Amino acid sequence: MLLGTLIYGFINSSILALIALGFNLTFGISGVANFAYGAIYIFSGFMTWIFLNSLGLPYVLCVIVSILFSAVLGLLTYYLIILRIKGIAISEVMATFGLGLAIMELFRYFNFVGFRYTLPVFYDGSIAIGDVYVDLQRIFIALIAVGLTLFLYLFTHHTKTGLAFRSIAQDERTALTFGIDSDRIGALSMAFGAGLAAVAAIVILPLGTIAVEGGYEVLINALAVCIVGGLGSTVGILVASVLIGFAQTFTANYLEPHWMMLVSLIAIAIVLVIKPSGLFSHQKELEERI
Amino acid sequence: MSRRIIFLSLVLCLFVVWGIPITKAIAVEPVLLGVPTSLGFLEGKEGLACVNMAVDEINKSGGVKVGATKRPFKVVAIDARGAEPGVPVADVIRAHKKLILEDKVNFIMFGSFRSECAIACMDLVGQHKVPMILGTAMSPAMEKRVKTDYDKYKYTFRVCLNAVYLIKYLGGTMAHLNKEFGFNKVFIMNQDVAWARKTGDLMIKLVFDKMGWEVVGRQAYPTGSSDFSSGLMKAKAGGAHVILPIFDMPQSGILVKQWKSMHVPALVAGFISPLAGPAAWKSFDKKIDGAMNCIFEIGNVPCTKVPKSVEFYDKYKKKYGKPIEAGHSPAPAYEMVYILKEAIERAGTIDSDKVVAELEKTDRSGAMGRIKFNDGHQVVYGQDPNETALGCMIQWRKGKRVVVYPKSVAEGKIELPAGLKSLK
Repeated sequence: MLLGTLIYGFINSSILALIALGFNLTFGISGVANFAYGAIYIFSGFMTWIFLNSLGLPYVLCVIVSILFSAVLGLLTYYLIILRIKGIAISEVMATFGLGLAIMELFRYFNFVGFRYTLPVFYDGSIAIGDVYVDLQRIFIALIAVGLTLFLYLFTHHTKTGLAFRSIAQDERTALTFGIDSDRIGALSMAFGAGLAAVAAIVILPLGTIAVEGGYEVLINALAVCIVGGLGSTVGILVASVLIGFAQTFTANYLEPHWMMLVSLIAIAIVLVIKPSGLFSHQKELEERI
Repeated sequence: MSRRIIFLSLVLCLFVVWGIPITKAIAVEPVLLGVPTSLGFLEGKEGLACVNMAVDEINKSGGVKVGATKRPFKVVAIDARGAEPGVPVADVIRAHKKLILEDKVNFIMFGSFRSECAIACMDLVGQHKVPMILGTAMSPAMEKRVKTDYDKYKYTFRVCLNAVYLIKYLGGTMAHLNKEFGFNKVFIMNQDVAWARKTGDLMIKLVFDKMGWEVVGRQAYPTGSSDFSSGLMKAKAGGAHVILPIFDMPQSGILVKQWKSMHVPALVAGFISPLAGPAAWKSFDKKIDGAMNCIFEIGNVPCTKVPKSVEFYDKYKKKYGKPIEAGHSPAPAYEMVYILKEAIERAGTIDSDKVVAELEKTDRSGAMGRIKFNDGHQVVYGQDPNETALGCMIQWRKGKRVVVYPKSVAEGKIELPAGLKSLK
């Protein structure tokens, strides 16, 4: 039982990390809390399904096109909506949340309802670790979560765009004096965040079904991980994913699964009381000290 | 000459002015059926489609005979969203009020999904004396109300299965598994919602405790859960012979996929709504082979031993170009229109009290078997389609749904999944 808890706890942590990475990247760079994030996750799932089942495209192509579509959606959101209200946090939240609602309810309106909306697993089968069987899709999720984290680290430390991302995140005004276009980087961060949401959707959704309501759940999970870890901190996201992921799995296995939903809420409450900026964020440290 | 023209023009004008209302009065007014549904749910979409199918058939044959005149049925549908847990009961009541007060429907069909909504709407239809025939909501409390305050609640009827009959079908299946294979250890996994919790409780109290089964564990999962590994690991560790799932959320199909990939040597037999329709085989990557699932009413699945269920199932497929996927509601939705038609024709009027009296006398053979109401205005479900309406258990086998219970309509015997052996 303990081995199974550890294995599924790690997989659960990987799922949470995958879900939160995109949301965190966008906020860390552009300062925009993209509340349409869950909707973009669902959008990419449905797009992949449409390309695969209605247009009959090969799966690999569906995945690539769907990620690109989601990234373009993120880009357009920035230029058409965010740019006009940038800096007004409450307007950004309301605009992105409204957009998210519109996207999700549009799918509901066009009858994307029911359990036939599923994506195929990458490779069918399961492996035994000790006496615990795990399906290969869950193994892929863990591997892709690790791979994506490494990719993001290398990208932000060793590419021109990645370094521009970090410079804007550290100090926008100084970055501007170096000729870095903050709007362009902001738009790219939205596109990257949306693209990461699409990757998460394509990897995670084959476990179950694509449901409109899933968008809300993804947003809540992403928020929980980001609040606990500290908005804008990738290390914080990873630590928070592991903490919440394992806590949820231990709760499910040794208490009851219906207490699982309380784990992230309790974690948020504790962090907000002890360190409101999150475990690894530096954004409000001065205010907190005062 | 000019006088004659003026006179003729006047006559013509009078004819036109008076003629319009006269024509209207002569035209046959349709009998209005208000259909509150929940289009965000498969059961709601297919239920409405079935009501429309029955109405089309009846109208094509001339309509319903009300006294000496034949009148068509007309459907006034509204998406009351009663199936969605977050939608307040008051909103659902408002949708019913709109149908009754604004659209002035004569009857309400199909219904409000959640039992709390349906129970609240019983007062409304009683107040306005509009008969309501339900194809959703499963609480037995509704029948109790009809029995205890008949004059107020007599306008409500229910055609679909209720929770008590669901327990009987699941309990009967467990008794059958015990008799055939000697199984007596069960692990219960249910959705953390009122109806599923209650069904689990009643299964323990009325079935497993009485039959001497050992309940090796029980887990409740919040709606939206997508990982069932903890329950499956516990079921395996506890040596359960049977896993009893009780779920109606889209993600619950994952449970069966995980059951397969985690090689849990137990038979899955219960109710998982996404496993009911033929699309489940492809949706869940062909990993549901061997799983047993309750179909609340036959007709939603074609049952070869009840020809009318096959006829209904095929008609739906022909009309809409795709098969029925929901295991709950479509067949009752279709049958209730015919039940109402026959009651109106017997009453010779659409007067609600007279129609209610005739609805009570219903005795019809249809897609669900024989349909009769009990004194709580609930259709009686049982084991023999010649005597009562019928639900059934199917087992997935290589992409096909085989009816395995009750015995009277079984098309094959229960087969055990790999790794699980009979104890007899």
